[in-house]
Amino acid sequence: MSIRNWIYTFLNGKKIGVDEFGNRYYTGKGRKLNGRERRWVIYNGKNDASSVPAEWHAWLHYTVDEPLTQIAANSYSWQEPHEVNYTGTGDAYRPKGHDYKGGRRGSATGDYEAWKPD
Amino acid sequence: MPSIKINGRDIEVEEGLTVLQACEEAGVEIPRFCYHERLSIAGNCRMCLVEMEPSPKPIASCAMPINDGMVIHTDTDLVKKAREGVMEFLLINHPLDCPICDQGGECDLQDQAMGYGLDKSRFLESKRAVKNKYLGPLVSTIMTRCIHCTRCIRFAQEIAGVPELGATGRGENMEVGTYVEKALSSELSGNLVDLCPVGALTSKPYEFKARSWELVKTQSIDVFDAMGSNIRIDSRGSEVMRVLPRINNSINEEWISDKTRHACDGLGRQRLDRPYVRRNGKLEEESWDGVLSVIAEKMINTSPKRMAAIAGDLVDCESLVSLKDLMQTLGCNNLDCRQDSGAFGNPRSSYIFNSGIKGIDRADVILLIGCNPRWEAPVLNARIRKQYLNGAIIGVIGPEFDLTFPFEHLSPDLKEIKNMLEHPSEFSDKLAKARRPMLVLGSGALAREDGEAILGAARDLAERVNIVNSEWNGFNVLQRAASRVGGLDLGFVPKTNKDLGTREILRAAEKKEIDVIYLLGSDEIEMDRLGDAFVIYQGHHGDAGAHRADAILPGAAYTEKNGTYVNLEGRCQRALRAVFPPGEAKEDWAIIRALSERIGKKLPFDNLLQVRERMSEVNPIFSNVNKISEASWGEFGSRGEIKDSEFIQPIENFYMTDVISRASATMAECTEVALAKKEKAA
Ligand code: SF4
Ligand code: FES
Repeated sequence: MSIRNWIYTFLNGKKIGVDEFGNRYYTGKGRKLNGRERRWVIYNGKNDASSVPAEWHAWLHYTVDEPLTQIAANSYSWQEPHEVNYTGTGDAYRPKGHDYKGGRRGSATGDYEAWKPD
Repeated sequence: MPSIKINGRDIEVEEGLTVLQACEEAGVEIPRFCYHERLSIAGNCRMCLVEMEPSPKPIASCAMPINDGMVIHTDTDLVKKAREGVMEFLLINHPLDCPICDQGGECDLQDQAMGYGLDKSRFLESKRAVKNKYLGPLVSTIMTRCIHCTRCIRFAQEIAGVPELGATGRGENMEVGTYVEKALSSELSGNLVDLCPVGALTSKPYEFKARSWELVKTQSIDVFDAMGSNIRIDSRGSEVMRVLPRINNSINEEWISDKTRHACDGLGRQRLDRPYVRRNGKLEEESWDGVLSVIAEKMINTSPKRMAAIAGDLVDCESLVSLKDLMQTLGCNNLDCRQDSGAFGNPRSSYIFNSGIKGIDRADVILLIGCNPRWEAPVLNARIRKQYLNGAIIGVIGPEFDLTFPFEHLSPDLKEIKNMLEHPSEFSDKLAKARRPMLVLGSGALAREDGEAILGAARDLAERVNIVNSEWNGFNVLQRAASRVGGLDLGFVPKTNKDLGTREILRAAEKKEIDVIYLLGSDEIEMDRLGDAFVIYQGHHGDAGAHRADAILPGAAYTEKNGTYVNLEGRCQRALRAVFPPGEAKEDWAIIRALSERIGKKLPFDNLLQVRERMSEVNPIFSNVNKISEASWGEFGSRGEIKDSEFIQPIENFYMTDVISRASATMAECTEVALAKKEKAA
């Protein structure tokens, strides 16, 4: 967080909440922008927009008025916890056969299954 | 003969044709969807509209019989407009999903929309959608694509004889399905996929596997039953992707059975791809060189009387003649190509389907003895059914079974043949009075201990009731194995009474009187009766034979070699190679030829042509390719007693009868569905 941001947030920001990654969300006291209240996020650690979970994302982009709660985030069994985008990091997804995963591909299709004596 | 005028040209055509058929004869193409030569006429797609003078409106040519002096136009503006209109209506509810449709590239609708349709759509409203139906493990449905030609319904009803498909609703709400959800209970259900002019019915095992234009097409012959159906093998790289029928009116018309079509995935599993030799009770990988010398040594050091060879059901004639020559030069005559020891006689007419498959179309009374054609040769059964619809009377001796058509069940006991001979019954009267009576003797009946007697009794009955006369021979044996007739023609049987056939070989092996047994693709014999003989297995799948074997020679399956097969009517046909055998496997006759050199009795042929010359030398029918050679009538069979024992059907499960279909996952699924159905019914 830059000094400028910190001062601005200290003077104008009203804290709305914190998500599971520790990102803090603020609205502006009073002053509006284009007729809407200002909403912003101060990231916990590196600035990474993909770390904003869906329920906060909706609030941040004015899709909803009130931020959705943690309960909303876990209300269905099929919902998965939010994950940041790992592209470019060591945890990135790599398909089987990728050089970093041993570089050995499965055999091509069109092969046959050989009989083996037991 | 009525004469009609088509597009200004006069032509004479046969009586009773439809306008569409007449146009076809005149070389004028008429687009169509619902019309199919082998099905009844429905006349509901309207794609075949043509102009007929003086009618003000276009007529549906497929349903209009010709009349003398008719004047037909197929190239006028009216016809063009009519076709465009019909095409536009058909496409209203047809999804434009050709890029993901399996039929893409071989779709009648695609082709005809290109040829006769408009170049743009004026339809802006929403399209209808239809729920997909379940039709079993072989046919996949995307019913939104259905254009309601009703070909599938007519096929199920008329050809397959299982009236399970039908339509519910009318107009836009019409849906084709099975009413109550269930798998089709036909052995011919795969043909629905070929019939459907669009992609509504597609092949489930082949779903999303390949596109039609990337496949290499090879014309070949089927080996899953003895009919020798003509097939086309579609392969990509080293894999057989699918099998389709070829049209041959004298054999399979344009149908093939589900096993023929869908067992091809078994070709990729359980393959023998390298030689093995058993050492200290364990099969070990070995080189060709090593395995051939082990076998050669064994065969040189064994007395020919203590050797034997049995050939299986899928073997081609080239390897049969090679193995026969090899064994005989060694002095061994204990040969048999009949795993089931089925009885046969000396004249060729005692083991073939004398009337020819086409002869069924002329028979008026048919007596089936100890066979279940629905499982032994489903396409042939469809042909008998067709003849039943044309008015033939069918009688059955043997266990009762749903043959898809009604029949008179004369007796479950095969003794009835003798009864009929001694006391003429109602049915034998019918046979005697018939113009072209026919008798179909199952291979299962001949494989019994009293097979000779059954063969003799059937022969006598055939003579008694005029089944055989100077211009008609209706004495038919329904073989099950693709290699059987070829094997018998080549004389792959014990030479004299002293030599051993399969039955005696097994008996002798149990008593340890046989030291070396050569199994050429033979898996359907009782392996635990082979005693401690040294078993050589040559074949393409690891099944019973390979498990018992002491040396394994990996051979080629029917798609992987140029082979000759003789079908049940005695027609010699050539199968072509579609793909190469996997791994180190080789063509079968070449393996035997290589072995003969090791033994020091080199067989006198080096290439396929010479093997085939040798075959023609053994039996001239092998130079008569694709034709039926005359078979003379004579004495065969014995006059012995027919035993009281109950008749057991030789096929327990239609979907798994040989090494390839037993290895096939699709066939396993079909078996499961069929079993579940049986349990439900019980
Ligand atoms: S499913 Fe195919 S064959 Fe059957 S009615 Fe529809 S388009 Fe015709
Ligand atoms: S082909 Fe004539 S109406 Fe369908």
